[in-house]
Amino acid sequence: MIRHLSFLMALWKTNLLSAMEYRISFLTQMIGMMLNNAIYFVFWIIFFARFEQINGWGLVDMFFLFGVVATGFGAGTFLFGNSVRLSSIIAQGQLDYYLSLPRPVLLHVLASRSIASSAGDFVYGLLSFAVAVVFSGAFSGLLLLRFALACLGAIAVLIGFFTLVQSLTFWIGNSSLLTTNAFNAIITFSLYPITLFDGTAKLLLFTIIPAAFVGALPAEFVRQFDLGQLIQISAGAVLFLALAVLIFYRGLRRYESGSAIQVRM
Amino acid sequence: MPAISVSNLRKTFQTKRKAAGIRGSLRALWRPTWQTVDAVRGISFAMQEGELLGFIGPNGAGKSTTIKILTGILHPSSGEASVLGYVPWRQRQALAFQIGSVFGQRPQLWYHLPAVDTFYLFGKIYEVEDAALRRRIAFLAEAFEIEDLLETPVRKLSLGQRMRCEVAASLLHKPRILLLDEPSIGLDVVAKQRLRETIQRMNALEGVGVLLTSHDAGDIEALCKRVIIINHGEIVYRDKVSALKRRYLTVKYVDVRYNEQLPPDFSLPGVEMLKVGRYGAKMRFDARATPVEPVISGLASAGSLADVTVSEPSLEDVIRTIYARAEAENA
Repeated sequence: MIRHLSFLMALWKTNLLSAMEYRISFLTQMIGMMLNNAIYFVFWIIFFARFEQINGWGLVDMFFLFGVVATGFGAGTFLFGNSVRLSSIIAQGQLDYYLSLPRPVLLHVLASRSIASSAGDFVYGLLSFAVAVVFSGAFSGLLLLRFALACLGAIAVLIGFFTLVQSLTFWIGNSSLLTTNAFNAIITFSLYPITLFDGTAKLLLFTIIPAAFVGALPAEFVRQFDLGQLIQISAGAVLFLALAVLIFYRGLRRYESGSAIQVRM
Repeated sequence: MPAISVSNLRKTFQTKRKAAGIRGSLRALWRPTWQTVDAVRGISFAMQEGELLGFIGPNGAGKSTTIKILTGILHPSSGEASVLGYVPWRQRQALAFQIGSVFGQRPQLWYHLPAVDTFYLFGKIYEVEDAALRRRIAFLAEAFEIEDLLETPVRKLSLGQRMRCEVAASLLHKPRILLLDEPSIGLDVVAKQRLRETIQRMNALEGVGVLLTSHDAGDIEALCKRVIIINHGEIVYRDKVSALKRRYLTVKYVDVRYNEQLPPDFSLPGVEMLKVGRYGAKMRFDARATPVEPVISGLASAGSLADVTVSEPSLEDVIRTIYARAEAENA
């Protein structure tokens, strides 16, 4: 475990060095993403100015929701940036590099890239959480701990889901459309109040598109401790990570490499 | 016990076939046709520890597929292989600590960072202790003459400089075997020569065995004592490089110049005239059918000699001959 952690730290450091080679580009992408998120959130501010609540969810809940989702997504894709382009890595035979080195392939490939704009998501998520804390007036050490746990759960489900869907490339070949749609679906649905959905739609958000584990469930847990919710978040995280690992390594047996000329960025 | 032993190794791929145009695409959509391609067809060979073995063949011959199986990247369809006692596709991680690999078309250095940053990352990947890693980097930098290049971003290095850094990176953990897949691809003559010299030096200094694939016969001629020639996934020749040249280098080319004019019907028995000019001629003969001595005597008696050059075909010509024979046998 310590061996892998030391390796991961070295890999993340190299990612950061690579991203920082072009400082202006890094900062532009980061600030651009923060602005993008802020503009998107303006819609909810206007909405809640007219309607105070939707089925029990108010503006403060939305700040908590965006806090968890943006922080989780930002941290997850900054540390495991290849989770969103695993499909093309498989299809173009770029797993060769990772397979020729003495490290677990999946961990190595996922952590070998940091997305600069994800740093913007991460900072925006923290700011959103800070605003939510100020508006709710409920700051405490336990709240911070719940937020950290909620973000960890969101990261695990997001990275697990991305990996799982993109690993289908081993079977279906070029799956860029499927992976793009899955990516958009989980991000979009995780940013809506869960109370908008019921019945089959709600079931889908806990299974096929597990957006509830990324947004609503952890956001509710941050506001108030609930052991049942903590168990659900933990179970979702373990389940999707385990599924991702299982599907990826099953698919790896079908890997056919490739002869395309490659560059390590 | 050989460092690498391969027995009846096979690898097949399934590839989709599609006729050209929209109609072909639509047909492939509803009723795809698959073709089995035999990339490697039951090859067997062994390589001793510390040996420099050349694995040569044209594009698509199965060289890279074999190397990828031996590094654990690909699973074979059937057959057996052992590298330093490990089965590559079952014990990939343990094997990777013992071998180094360089793929000419797949750089391992981070493009935007100086090579030294990748070296330190590789130190962590291969679990080399920090002080030992620093000593090793200093040693390899000197051996590969890359001291001045280490802190330059890789994107700013020439291809030859980058390839020397690539090979140095693959030797950081002191591997027992180095698998080089087309390391000289795209390099100019000078860069190729420098790369060959450094590989030879590391083989002499540390006894690292080298399995080298290339479609450049010059790499094999300069580096390897033994060669395996592969075509269409099958081994078509295996022996010492010297034996290869002895066996196939029987044709001699002669370029002769005289101080006086030659008769237009100038000829010698058993010699094929390629070009006859007023003061010189180019010709060739098979030394097995026509001994060298009467040819040289005949040239001397034809007039006052100004210059004469006798040359052999290049190893590339030899290999072309072997491929052609293999093709003819297959046909």
